[in-house]
Amino acid sequence: MKKILSLVLALCLTLGMASFAAAEEALPTFDQLVYGENADITASILFAYHRTDIPEKLNGYVDEFRKTYPNVTIEYDLITDYAENALNRVKTADWTIMGIPAVDKDELSGFFVPLGATDVLSEKYAFMDAWNFDGVTYGMPSTGNAQGIVYNKAVFAKAGVTEIPKTPDEFIAALKAIKANTDAIPLYTNYAANWTMGAWDAYIGGSATGDANYMNNVLLHKANPFSDNGDGTGPYAVYKILYDAVKEGLIEEDYTTTDWEGCKGMINNGQIGCMVLGSWAFTQMRDAGEHGDDIGYMSFPITVNGKQYASAGADYSFGVNVKATYEQKLASLYYIKFLTEQSGFAYSEGGLPIDKTGEYPALYEAFNGIEFVADAPAAEGEEALFNELNAESELAINAGGNTKIQKIIEHAFNGDKEFDDIMAEWNEAWTAAQEALNVEIR
Amino acid sequence: MTNAAAPDLRQRRKKINGQKVLLIVTFSVIPLFLLALFTYVPFFRMIRFSFYNMSYTKNKGFVGLDNYVKIFTREEYVSAMLLSLYYMAGAAIQLSLALFFATLLTSGLKGSGLFKGIMFFPFLVNGIAIGYMFKFFFTRGFVLDTVLQSLGISLESLPYWLRDQSVNNWSLVFTSVWKYCGQNMVLFVGAIASIDPTLYEAATIDGANKWQQFKAIILPGIKTVFMLNLILSITGSLSAFEPAYVVGSMGANGTATFFIKIHQMAHVHNKVGMACAMAMVLMILILVFTVAQRLFFRYVMKDSENTFNGKANRAKALW
Repeated sequence: MKKILSLVLALCLTLGMASFAAAEEALPTFDQLVYGENADITASILFAYHRTDIPEKLNGYVDEFRKTYPNVTIEYDLITDYAENALNRVKTADWTIMGIPAVDKDELSGFFVPLGATDVLSEKYAFMDAWNFDGVTYGMPSTGNAQGIVYNKAVFAKAGVTEIPKTPDEFIAALKAIKANTDAIPLYTNYAANWTMGAWDAYIGGSATGDANYMNNVLLHKANPFSDNGDGTGPYAVYKILYDAVKEGLIEEDYTTTDWEGCKGMINNGQIGCMVLGSWAFTQMRDAGEHGDDIGYMSFPITVNGKQYASAGADYSFGVNVKATYEQKLASLYYIKFLTEQSGFAYSEGGLPIDKTGEYPALYEAFNGIEFVADAPAAEGEEALFNELNAESELAINAGGNTKIQKIIEHAFNGDKEFDDIMAEWNEAWTAAQEALNVEIR
Repeated sequence: MTNAAAPDLRQRRKKINGQKVLLIVTFSVIPLFLLALFTYVPFFRMIRFSFYNMSYTKNKGFVGLDNYVKIFTREEYVSAMLLSLYYMAGAAIQLSLALFFATLLTSGLKGSGLFKGIMFFPFLVNGIAIGYMFKFFFTRGFVLDTVLQSLGISLESLPYWLRDQSVNNWSLVFTSVWKYCGQNMVLFVGAIASIDPTLYEAATIDGANKWQQFKAIILPGIKTVFMLNLILSITGSLSAFEPAYVVGSMGANGTATFFIKIHQMAHVHNKVGMACAMAMVLMILILVFTVAQRLFFRYVMKDSENTFNGKANRAKALW
């Protein structure tokens, strides 16, 4: 009797699984997806994301989305320490949508649902290269960021700086003018917040060279990339600005106790001249006080052969868990479609549009004549090389290598190491990593 | 009657014994399972990982002792380990302070309960909260500077507590002392309270003063607890993390302890194998220190124990 019972049970289970598997249709690709279809779909979604500062706004999007898809519940799991936390969680089934953390590109298919062919999606959406592997895209960017400097126009005007600085020398001169003519801190480093330091790495590609291939290709194969180009361009020039600003006393006095939340109000009311942060920071600084009109955004002060460039790239991209159920995956795709095309999220965050028909927000008015450079993807077969070089060299360029930038400030302030020596060390570490991984030097 | 009852009783006892065993097993199965799952399995896997070059998501192959060699050949890791010396110095101060207050509070002071509570309180506060508190405490012109200024010290003559590399590690050690001193003290108070009060009487009659009593009665009497506190603080110093992570901005400005280096290795550089090897080194270091302390106390301090017992016996004999 018992045997029969267990047999029946096993049979039921197998049948159940089989019928469940049969229900798994192929998911539509992101461009085929029509928002509003399958409105009766039922699923619950856990969305792991880093924007702890705007929970109301995000939940507002959920409410809006549920007007079309009433049976879909979406819960945001907003995490402060996102980059690390997400990397630990990406392997699990404990999320449905997440902002894709720094995984190697050849591992993408193990964690995320493919959204479609990259070249097809690229016709309609920007920055499709961000999470492309083997011609397939796995992540839809939330918004696009340009790399520049957020500044207080009133402070610059008061200091007598009427033209936006275009070269490192002009920039340092402007900072000196702010120090001499106003009470404001010329350049606020946000040293203590750590991740704000790593942000400097984002400028060494497009902004500093004008070359879309620099970040993901040239850098990997270049011998001693941190050497002085001699013309105020390249990575050397970017980090030199920071070193010089510290050395000349143009930053906050006690950099070890800076306060990230506090700095927003400070730049808003004119206590800070400028901060080196991506364009995503603009809206936060603007909304942090009563002087939002004073906040402006300018490009990074490096001119390559008479022309200025601004690195542009995707912010965190949305990826759907490959371990989720079919309903969850489909509902997630609809929600991402909504965020990308209907919500106006990118625009309201002051970001570059992802949907190519979208508008550019007003903050880019100072970017007239400046070319946006989106980092080109790594060459085929080298998608994971940058991450590996970063790990091997422990420089973690553009990947959370905050400590090395902090050390620039410490050495500049304490005067215990020349800038050229720091760059020589980085070159050494990079070269050693290139040798360890048998990277061809071009 | 008796013959019939005996096997029955034996059987019942057997049954009860059986139930006992069953009870013990069922009650311990879950905790033992959890212990194995969350402590021993990860631990043995960590040992294995430490011989591999691997990230969280990818295993890049066996590398033998490479990871361990790197730890000892790179100057930055050795200097990170040396940062523990600051915390050990802090631990010495902390233990002396705790012992001092414990002796004071057990000497029949009025309101000692209240003082005990006040001094123990920091230990109950969450470490991260303490971190943020002390960040403001050390900020230029904030709490500490204001207090010192009111004592007549000019702001110009004060260092930047976290920025100046000559003092910043001491600032961090201070937060750690502030937090753990109360805990040590409470343990000491408990130990001192368990000393037989007749010993004091005997010593007083013998004409011993308070310092002599402390040295000859209290100190030997709390030896076990003192050892425990010492081991806890030394291992704590070796694996110092919270103050440097929160107050020192994740180990910036030369405050990165070995533990912070492990964290960076695993979570910034994604070198899990290397981080596991570093964790192993830290564990071995802690084991070595613990064993060394035990040996030290067993052989070096043995004499003092004999003199203590001798003295006490003599005191009792005299009495």
